[in-house]
Amino acid sequence: MRDKILIVDDVELNRSILGAILENEYTIVEAENGKQALELIEELKDEISVILLDLIMPEMDGMQVLAELNKRKIIGMIPVLVISGENSYETEKECFDLGVSDYIAKPFNNVIIQKRVKNVAGLYEYKLQLEEKVEEQTAVLRKAYQTLKIQTEKLHRNNQKIVDILGTVVEFRNLESGEHINRVKKYTKILAEEAMKEYPEYGLTPEKIDTIVSASSLHDIGKITIPDHILLKPGKLTKDEFECMKSHTTRGCELLDQIDVEWDPELRQAIYEICRYHHERYDGKGYPDALVGEEIPLSAQLVSIADVYDALVNERCYKDAYSAEEAYRMITHGECGVFSPKLMEVFRKTRKQFEMLKKYNK
Amino acid sequence: MTVKECYELADADYNDVMNRLGSEALVKRFAVKFLQDRSYQELTEAMEAKDAELAFRAVHTLKGVCANLGFKRLQEVSSELTEKLRGREFEGSEPLYEAVKIQYDRVIGAITQLAEE
Repeated sequence: MRDKILIVDDVELNRSILGAILENEYTIVEAENGKQALELIEELKDEISVILLDLIMPEMDGMQVLAELNKRKIIGMIPVLVISGENSYETEKECFDLGVSDYIAKPFNNVIIQKRVKNVAGLYEYKLQLEEKVEEQTAVLRKAYQTLKIQTEKLHRNNQKIVDILGTVVEFRNLESGEHINRVKKYTKILAEEAMKEYPEYGLTPEKIDTIVSASSLHDIGKITIPDHILLKPGKLTKDEFECMKSHTTRGCELLDQIDVEWDPELRQAIYEICRYHHERYDGKGYPDALVGEEIPLSAQLVSIADVYDALVNERCYKDAYSAEEAYRMITHGECGVFSPKLMEVFRKTRKQFEMLKKYNK
Repeated sequence: MTVKECYELADADYNDVMNRLGSEALVKRFAVKFLQDRSYQELTEAMEAKDAELAFRAVHTLKGVCANLGFKRLQEVSSELTEKLRGREFEGSEPLYEAVKIQYDRVIGAITQLAEE
């Protein structure tokens, strides 16, 4: 409760006169020089409402007091009214520069001073209350923001789960497991992170990698349109059957277009690219659009390698599993599709990580 | 004796002090308190000891007090002596000090009367 007024003046009569008119509403505390004043302020700084300060005093004058109050951050917390016989423009200006709330010349008018004190005391009370309130509100907001952040992350994870479930459901027809999707995601991540390091010109960022990895879950979503007798055929496909199989890329995109949700644009783009182009070849002999080289979006190039590798080292209805060494050889020798030299370099570098993953991820 | 009469006797400005202090009770209270003010005594001692610094400060304080209490005449002569002593030199200050003495005695006389009643 700020109920005190500190009056600082070396002349006792001055202190008395000022005190006399203010003692009805406040408790008066007096100091006769700057040093005393600072001691009292330090002791009572939570109880003082206003400081009335003379400038010319022995031991420590008003200006020094003001400088010290600034240092201790009291200015801004307690209003200071300078009451001085010093009537020069420079002094007045300097006082205001040091943060006083008012400058009153002597001889002063007690009645007017009382009103000015009341004004400034009221103002500061309001200001301090407001500052306190803002602090409280900020704390509340901060907490709310944290909660929001957690919720957003949860939402993000849930969305990802849905995408994964979708991919798994589709894959289940011909693979009877959702593990292929998990592995492709992991292989894709390994390749992408290495590529980000080795080839900054790709412009990959952790956020972009996350998007690509997420999107990769749906790379074969078009297979839902392929009939069983082709999808699950144990032998080699006929020309027509192969053409049908190839269409899972474009049909997947058609399916995507049918889905009427608000996609995150980057994610939508990545899903489309991967779905459509993960069977393109770097030399232009892939499908469906025979894109050449870097015409093939990077996302599709990455998933392509990941998909091929996982297909090679696992059993499929039409073949047995190859060993890691064989798979590595076949890919780097261009026996299972043609890839960009840069990404082959990346694949070579990450070979160990691929093999570790294969080993521990049945 | 009324406060107003006291002020007239002291060649002081009653209206001025009433404006500034706000109530007659306060004016009387502080006028009487002036009897205990030591600035004039300090001035006298300093003049005798030829201490220009102390003399200056004492008369400067006296001037301020007079301004607060409306003792116009005493304030004027104090002001003249203050300016004379601002350079901290005693040259030519004696007559001005005498003027202060005269007015001071006058004011004290008036207030003493007020205080007794």
